[in-house]
Amino acid sequence: MPPARAVTMNAMTTTAAPATTPVVGFEHVSKVYGRVRAVDGLSLALRPGETVALLGPNGAGKSTTLDLLLGLKRPDSGTVRVFGTGPREAIVAGRVGAMLQSGGLTDEVTVAELVRLGCALHPRPYPVADVLARAGLTGIADRKVDKLSGGQAQRVRFALATAGDSDLIVLDEPTTGMDVSARRAFWATLREQADRGRTVLFATHYLEEADAIADRVLVLHRGRLLADGTAAEIKARAGARRISFDLAGDIDRAALHALPFLASIDVSGRTVRIRSTDADATVHALYGLGVRPRNLEVTGLGLEQAFVAITEAEEAKQS
Amino acid sequence: MNSLIKLELTRALRNRRFLFFSVLYPSALFLLIAGRADATGTVDGTGLTLPAYMMVSMASFGALTAVLMGNSERIARERESGWVRQLRLTSLPGRGYVLAKTASAAVVSLPSIVLVFVVAAAVRDVRLDAWQWLALTGAIWAGSLVFAALGVALGYLAAGDAVRPITMIIYFGLSILGGLWMPSTTFPQWLQDIARWLPTHAYAALGRAIEQNQAPHAQDIAVLAVFFVLFTGGAAWLYRKDTLTA
Repeated sequence: MPPARAVTMNAMTTTAAPATTPVVGFEHVSKVYGRVRAVDGLSLALRPGETVALLGPNGAGKSTTLDLLLGLKRPDSGTVRVFGTGPREAIVAGRVGAMLQSGGLTDEVTVAELVRLGCALHPRPYPVADVLARAGLTGIADRKVDKLSGGQAQRVRFALATAGDSDLIVLDEPTTGMDVSARRAFWATLREQADRGRTVLFATHYLEEADAIADRVLVLHRGRLLADGTAAEIKARAGARRISFDLAGDIDRAALHALPFLASIDVSGRTVRIRSTDADATVHALYGLGVRPRNLEVTGLGLEQAFVAITEAEEAKQS
Repeated sequence: MNSLIKLELTRALRNRRFLFFSVLYPSALFLLIAGRADATGTVDGTGLTLPAYMMVSMASFGALTAVLMGNSERIARERESGWVRQLRLTSLPGRGYVLAKTASAAVVSLPSIVLVFVVAAAVRDVRLDAWQWLALTGAIWAGSLVFAALGVALGYLAAGDAVRPITMIIYFGLSILGGLWMPSTTFPQWLQDIARWLPTHAYAALGRAIEQNQAPHAQDIAVLAVFFVLFTGGAAWLYRKDTLTA
């Protein structure tokens, strides 16, 4: 009976290569520099096909995390697995393409020569012309690498990261040095990569990029994972809405502070700014106080504000 | 890895300053020192004419320049710029980078050696048997690997601004004290005693033995072998250290 056989086959395949193997798996990974815990007991798993943004303030451990993922650094404790193997094995197998900010380009060679090398070093390369075209480098293929602008050099790094058919693409601050239109073109290219079923992990401090591109956002702070979810979930967690209004007459601070669903409140002069996890309920209760708010505004938090709120809350907790 | 060797070569051949110093400069220096020298007398204790003596010295010097100068500075700079890290994101085996550097230096050092021979034979009538020319080329070329390893070690040892002066001091120190620029027999005795143990001295002595139709001295072979082990061991150790901290 064919259906039954299909099921058996399926089960066998599953046993041979478990579908649950994460693309990237960190288990209790720590990396210490002197007295600084750059990465502190980090555990995370990336699933196939996800586009994941890695966010964090400077010094949060983003670069160290990427270095550990790519086998450029070894963890002091814990394990890092990429496609179920060590990072180096995954790279040698051509399963990972990566661009690092700290990745230099050799000089005195042309863009095309360098990309040709990138293709030659990949086990499953794409044609050089395609890689150049996709990275928007065709027009400057004959230019010397040391004569490029910052944004152009970033595109060369991107070309090297996508020189072949890799399953995971890792990008560290990929759009640094690009102007707005170059950035837009870059993300369109990356979307294309993600749509082919690739897993993409990128670190950025342009939060609007994370908001627009990523299926999943990881917020890193002092080497630990502070939040992990969709951009919408992260925003909700930080206090989804911001309410602001002016008050005439006396302000009863105690009553304002007692409003429900407050994440934070700030009263300066006659203006009150509130962050609320349930703006409807908060506004309803506000009117219940019998006050007459003017210029009432309810706005959604951007990811950026959510990010600041989350990391600030963590700072406050620690100090 | 072949692709990286090709790229390294393309780049080396584009670098005119490097090409001048490693390919043309030794021949020019040969003409300067041995161009008008008396070709009838012999250099003390060797039985070789000055042109024949200086030919081996300058061929060795040229090979030394090609393998030492290019690599040490380049490796130090590429470590700093992050190119070494970039390569570690590819399937290139770790040692591939060092091997490609060494291989491309060896390709440049060969014409440097041959050019000195051609100039010496054409301008100063240095005559040797065919087997001697071949053996000389082979010995000097193979011997340059000792200094290629030194270049790699220096590239991983020093960083940034320090690498050039350090390389220069070692380069000129080894060249002059090893007797590549002038016969070490002109040195005071105490200096000769030191020079005998330098790899450059043993390196040139190897070539001279071929010119003299003699078997190479065991001491020279031993000195070169010890330095080769020392330099490659040092390079490998420094390389591994660099890999763990990069």
